[in-house]
Amino acid sequence: MRNGGKEFRALNVPEKIQVELDNGRPGKVVKSRSARVVESVLECWRIDDEWWRKPITRIYYEVVLETGGRVVLFQDLTTNEWWMQS
Amino acid sequence: MDSLFAACCYVPCFALRCEETRHPEYPPTVSTALLDPHDPRRVWQVSCAARRAGIRPGITVSQAIGLSPTIQLYQPDPVYYEARFTELLDHLSTISPVIEPAELGRVYVGTDGLERIYGGVEEVIERIQLPKPQSAIRVGWGRGKFVSWVAAARAGPGQSVLVRPGEEVRFLASQPVAVLPLDADVHTRLRQLGLHSLRDLTALPEDALAAQFGVAGRRLWQLAAGKLSEPVKGRETPEPITVSLTFYSPVADRQLLLQSLDALIDRALRHPRRAGWRVQRVRVRAELEYRSSWMIDALLKEPAADRRRILAPLKIRLERSPPLKAVERLMLEFTSFVPGTDELQLFARDAGAAARAGRRRALRNASREIALRLNQPMLYHVISVQPWSRIPERRYGLTEKEQ
Repeated sequence: MRNGGKEFRALNVPEKIQVELDNGRPGKVVKSRSARVVESVLECWRIDDEWWRKPITRIYYEVVLETGGRVVLFQDLTTNEWWMQS
Repeated sequence: MDSLFAACCYVPCFALRCEETRHPEYPPTVSTALLDPHDPRRVWQVSCAARRAGIRPGITVSQAIGLSPTIQLYQPDPVYYEARFTELLDHLSTISPVIEPAELGRVYVGTDGLERIYGGVEEVIERIQLPKPQSAIRVGWGRGKFVSWVAAARAGPGQSVLVRPGEEVRFLASQPVAVLPLDADVHTRLRQLGLHSLRDLTALPEDALAAQFGVAGRRLWQLAAGKLSEPVKGRETPEPITVSLTFYSPVADRQLLLQSLDALIDRALRHPRRAGWRVQRVRVRAELEYRSSWMIDALLKEPAADRRRILAPLKIRLERSPPLKAVERLMLEFTSFVPGTDELQLFARDAGAAARAGRRRALRNASREIALRLNQPMLYHVISVQPWSRIPERRYGLTEKEQ
């Protein structure tokens, strides 16, 4: 996007990933052909927004991976795609 | 901002070169010399023709006239030389953000990363030698200031000498000890010891030189052996400071204008950005009645942070060429600075503000350097868009940082 001649970009844009489920919850995260097992799910919440135009419905998971890294994933419930976000 | 690779721009006898450019009526065959600014009875810098006539710097004017009765002598004009040197620095600042003036006529330009922008070291040097009036610039390029300086000293007028990485030791070994930054006494002692080239010097153990000349001796040995590469340190200068005063009714009274200028200087000196810096150039502009304008400009012979010393040259100019109509608005601008003395730095009025200004300046310079080196903006501002939004990517955005 250009804003008065200056480039503007959104911060924290989600990144598409693949997720394998385990009992309905994220069990393995596949990103750039490398897979990481989810050690634990710390938190889970849901967002329903902008129902008056193009509805946004997401279910978020804050998980800990086998490497010890803490990441936030969400499933877009309108497309069933998985995304990773900081 | 530092740069390990340096281009040394060198114009020997810079002041005399300035006079020669100012007086094109004298051909190179005419002997010319510049008088010493501190002792006008002696000559300071001499032309090649004068040197051929046997005239050497430091001899008296009467001796010089005796050796060459047609010699053309120039009165020294330090303000003019300083202005020409500032022009050269301004030109070099458009090529590299890392500039370190060493003395009148010698300046180091940091070249780290510039090859990627201009296509190669040769292209960078070509740009440095671009201004026609300074076509006498000799350029030396190499790793560290010393190697680049020796290379520049070996180059002919308008020419360059490049010392590629790895060639330093071989290049330095054949140079005379005179290229080392030494006083005359140490040079004499080195000659008495039979040391004529840097190869002779580095053939001795480093500790032997340290024992003979102390810490300076160790440094000299390391410079001569190409083991010490001092980087170019970019100069940091504040942005211009501008203050103004609008009169309720137009003022023509010269005394009132002087008082107003005095008050403006005082206000500009109190500016936090000025702390730790002495003013070198000051400009006064005025908006006059009936949409005309007036301007005077003063380059201080001795940079100052004192109100009266800054006002003095402005007062003279105001008396010589006063505004032709009454003044509606008066503006004063400090446009050029030099670092203050240690005392000034120590007793800066607002050390905190100076530090903040320094950080902002450093950030601006770093931003400019990144843009110059990468040829694209890489720094962004984080701006709040909808910080309250439940959708994370809607909360903040990035926008290009202006230079």
